[in-house]
This record gives sequence, C-alpha cells and structure tokens, in this order.
Amino acid sequence: MVDAAAIDRPLRDFNPWPAVIVVCLVCLAVLFLAPTLGVLLSSVKTTRDIAFGELWTIPDTLFLGNFGEVIANPAVHRYILNTILVTVPATAASIALGVFAGYVFSKLPFRGSDVLFLILVSGMFFPPQVILIPLFRLFNTMGLIDTLWPIIIVHTALGIPICTLLMRNFFATVPNALREAAILEGANEWQVLMRVALPLSLPAIAVLATLQFTWIWNDFLWPLIFTNSDEKRTIMIGIVNLKGQYSVAWGVQGALSLIASIPTLIVFLFFQRYFIKGMTMGAVKG
Amino acid sequence: MKGVRAGSRSPIFCGARRMEQSNRFWRTVLLAAPVAVFTVFVIWPLLSSFHYSFTNWNGFNREFDYVGFSNYAKIVTDKLFLNAAINTVIWMVAAILLPTLLGLGLALLIDSRVPGGTMFKSIFYLPICLSAVVVGQIWVWIYQPDWGLLNTVIGLVSGEEFRYPWLAKPDTALGSVIIAWAWQQTGLSMVIYLAGLTSIPEDLIEVCEIEGATAWQRIRMLIIPLLTPATVVVIALSVINSLKGFDILYIMTGGGPFHSSDTLAMHMYNESFKKYLMGYGSAISVVLFLIALTIIRIYFRQLRRVDEIYG
Repeated sequence: MVDAAAIDRPLRDFNPWPAVIVVCLVCLAVLFLAPTLGVLLSSVKTTRDIAFGELWTIPDTLFLGNFGEVIANPAVHRYILNTILVTVPATAASIALGVFAGYVFSKLPFRGSDVLFLILVSGMFFPPQVILIPLFRLFNTMGLIDTLWPIIIVHTALGIPICTLLMRNFFATVPNALREAAILEGANEWQVLMRVALPLSLPAIAVLATLQFTWIWNDFLWPLIFTNSDEKRTIMIGIVNLKGQYSVAWGVQGALSLIASIPTLIVFLFFQRYFIKGMTMGAVKG
Repeated sequence: MKGVRAGSRSPIFCGARRMEQSNRFWRTVLLAAPVAVFTVFVIWPLLSSFHYSFTNWNGFNREFDYVGFSNYAKIVTDKLFLNAAINTVIWMVAAILLPTLLGLGLALLIDSRVPGGTMFKSIFYLPICLSAVVVGQIWVWIYQPDWGLLNTVIGLVSGEEFRYPWLAKPDTALGSVIIAWAWQQTGLSMVIYLAGLTSIPEDLIEVCEIEGATAWQRIRMLIIPLLTPATVVVIALSVINSLKGFDILYIMTGGGPFHSSDTLAMHMYNESFKKYLMGYGSAISVVLFLIALTIIRIYFRQLRRVDEIYG
C-alpha cells in the first residue's frame, strides 16, 4: 500500500481533505456565531415577535424601536458615562505603573528584584474574592463606597501584574546600548524611559491598552460590590438592573447588550492582533 | 577613548559609584508608586482576609469579636460549602477538558492552511471580547424554555414541542452554564495552541509525511507531544479562570436552583454580601486562596519540568 501511494503521487492533487476541513470549520463557525447572532437578531425585533418564537429567524424588516428606547433612557447615558470614567483612568494608570515597574525590573535590576517581580506578577493568579472583604471594609472606612473611586483604584492595582510582566518582557528587547548611549549624552533615567524606551514600546502599550480596556469595561464584580445607587452603576450592572425594568422586553435587552458591547467589539475588530498577542504573551510567559 | 579621559567631567570618568547612586534613586522613584498601590490594595487585603476569618464582623459595624477557629469549624460542617466545593471541582474539570480539547481541535483545523483561516480565527475568538453579562444574557436566551434556540432545534429535530427549562432544573443548571463558559473560553485555548503550532518546524512535519505517517499519526505522535508547553499554559489558564468563575454564574443562575450551581466563589459572595457573615466569608476566601496557591505551585513546578525537557 505504501509503495502504491508513493508511485501514485499525482493522485495527491485530488486531496479531499482541505474541502472536508473547510466544511467542518464552517459548521463550527455557524455554531459559534449563533449565540452572538441571537443578540443581534433580538435587538432588531419586537418583543412580541420574540415571544412568538421568531428570535432565531432572519427578519424581513428591521425594527429599530429597541435602540430608540435604549438611547432615550437617561439611566443608560449615566451607566455609559460611569463606565468611561472608570475604564479610561484605570487603564491609563495601570499601564503607567506597569511601565515604571517593568522598566526597573528590566533595565535597573537589583538584588532581590526577581523576588519582588514574582510577588507582583503572582497577583495575576488569585481569585479576586480573596481580597473582596478587606477592600470593602477599607473603602467603607474611607467613605468611598458608592463612588467610582474604589473601582478605579482596584482595577489599577489588579492591572499591575500583567502590565509589569508585559512591559518588563518588552523592555528586555530594547538594547541596553541605547540606554547607555543616551546616558553618556547626559540624559537621566527618566529621559531615557520617556524618550528612548517608551517610543520603542508602543506595540506593548497597545497590547496592554486593548487588554485592560476590555477587561475593565466588561467587569461586573467590582462595581457590584462597591456601588449601590443607580447613579454610580456601570453599564454591565446596568444591563442586569434594567432587566427588572424591562422584565420581558427582550428586544430592548438585546439592543442594550449590543450597545454595551460596541466599545469592546471595536477594540476587538481594529486591534485584534494586539489583543491576541497580549493574551498569548501574558499567558505563555505567565 | 583616551581623549575622553582628559575631560574629567565626562560621565565615564565620574565612575561607577555615582552611576550606582543614580540607579538607586531612579529605582526608588519608579518603583514607589506601583509597589505602594499593590501593597495597599492587594497584599494588605490578602493578609487581612486571614485576620477577618477569625472574627464575626457583620459588614456594617465598626466593631467585631474574635471567634477563634469557629468560622473554619463551620466550613467543615457546612453542607452548602461541601456542595459548592463539589460543584467547583466539576466546574474545573469541565472547564479544563472542554475548552482545551475544542481549542486544540480548532487550532489543528485552522493551522492546516485552509482558505479563510484568519476569518475563522476571528470568529472563534470573538466571544472573548464579550462581557460575562452579555454572554450570560445570550445563553439565557438559548436555554429559554419557550422560544430558546436549544428547545427550538430539539423541537424541529424530534418533530414535537419541547419545553425544557434548562437553567431552572437542578440537574442541568450547572452543566448549562459550563457550556456557555466553554463557548467563551475556547477561543483563548485556540490562540495559544495556534501560537504553539507556529513554533513546530515545518520540515519535521514534512519528514513525517515523506516517511508515510498518516495525518492522525502525525497529530498524535508528533504534534501533540510538541505542543506540551502550550497545553500546560492552556490548562493552567483554564484552572485559574475557572476558580475566578463568578460573573457568568451570577448572571445565569445566581447559584440556583436550590444551590445546584453554587461554586466556592458564589458561596463566598452569598455568605458575605447576602447574609453579611463577613467573618465566615473571609474564612471561605482563605480556603479559596489556599486552593489557588496549591494549584499555582503545581503549575510552576510542571512549567519548570516542561522547560527542562523542551528547553
């Protein structure tokens, strides 16, 4: 059999496998897309249609009333504003702190820096529930419960491990000769970091910005614990809250879910390369 | 270079001592903020959890009493804790097996250089960027008894009306949430496996082909063993993420019905923030921490072994 196969080489041109694989992949892709498609479909259908079992069919006409209702709801504006007010500063702050720490660990190592680095990075692995109660008490005594501050602070702190890890690994690829040359020219360490190392590290910063933005935007646990008035809720809590208000208004819920996902979907579509890189870099080196 | 020496002010001449002084200064300046923030908001709370686990703090009062090991004694007898622990193990095993196997399969299919590989990659990866809240919402609709996708499809196949409330039955609640979770996590395993696959030398695979190995033999005896480092990462990530798994359960079942989908993270939340037993909740979180610590240590030991074998 082996010999026959070797002689009949040209037959390999009729290899059916790629076609089979594509068919498999298409089937799996449809299965994988179906749930997401459900949200898309629900957002352009009336709740009445959905209740009659019409959710999973392609609609003849697009019903945009759900979006109108969501956009007109002032609570939604507040949720989105709060989410931006949390996500943007926390993303920026965690990256800044990661840049500082990562720079020291890669360019100015000292005795014991390996241990300190490990301690910082290990923060990535623990379930957040472990620090929930003491943080609740801490912010309670500080009178910060039901403000956005605890959420910003905690996301900044919990972002330090991944940001430090990725920045250290990236700074390690910046040649030491560059730093030495700049210092010989009379630059101080801050100038080296800001003018030499940082401009070279924009890809790593892009990776972190996409990761942190997505995680913080999508977060549910911390706003759930640290806020309780509707004024201070973020969009993910808002979706759950409005569920009560629109108890069976599935179409409106679909539109709301879609609107809440748009920022992360945009990040995903445009920065997918960075996103995947971050996930694998952070994971593989973890 | 000798000319430089004459200029006594040059940085080289100032010597290593001043350099070391400047390094120490910048180290302190740059590390101060990250280390301070991390210590105050991560390490200190972590240690405090141990402290509060010996108290009966109720979440409102400033004062509390020390109750010794009674919170830990309660864990041993708490039927709901045992139930949550068992569910966590089920959740973890499924969270390891499903995304790992599916992710590996998808990565192998996509890596075979089919047309549209990038598009397929994006499709399978898309769920990662959705929030647990939205994913939970989507899957609640799939399991919806009256018009959910699952019952609709079963109804179409079997030809008779099917109305099973997947999330409202203790037998199927946990499993249903696990599937939703696996749907979201598979993309992550897939990209890690794809990254691993790019590091396998092409000529190695070609040699196998020339030697007459079938596709299945190639995958089983060459590719999967060479993917061991990726597998270690995928499994570790699955374990870590599954220990954190809370949001999606909270959204889809809230741990119910009748605690049938409670996990340790969920149980800890309920005891602390629903019943306001913060002391007992802290004890549960300490146990959760110890479990995570054990798993992470095993993971790092395995990682070192993999490093030794595969360099």
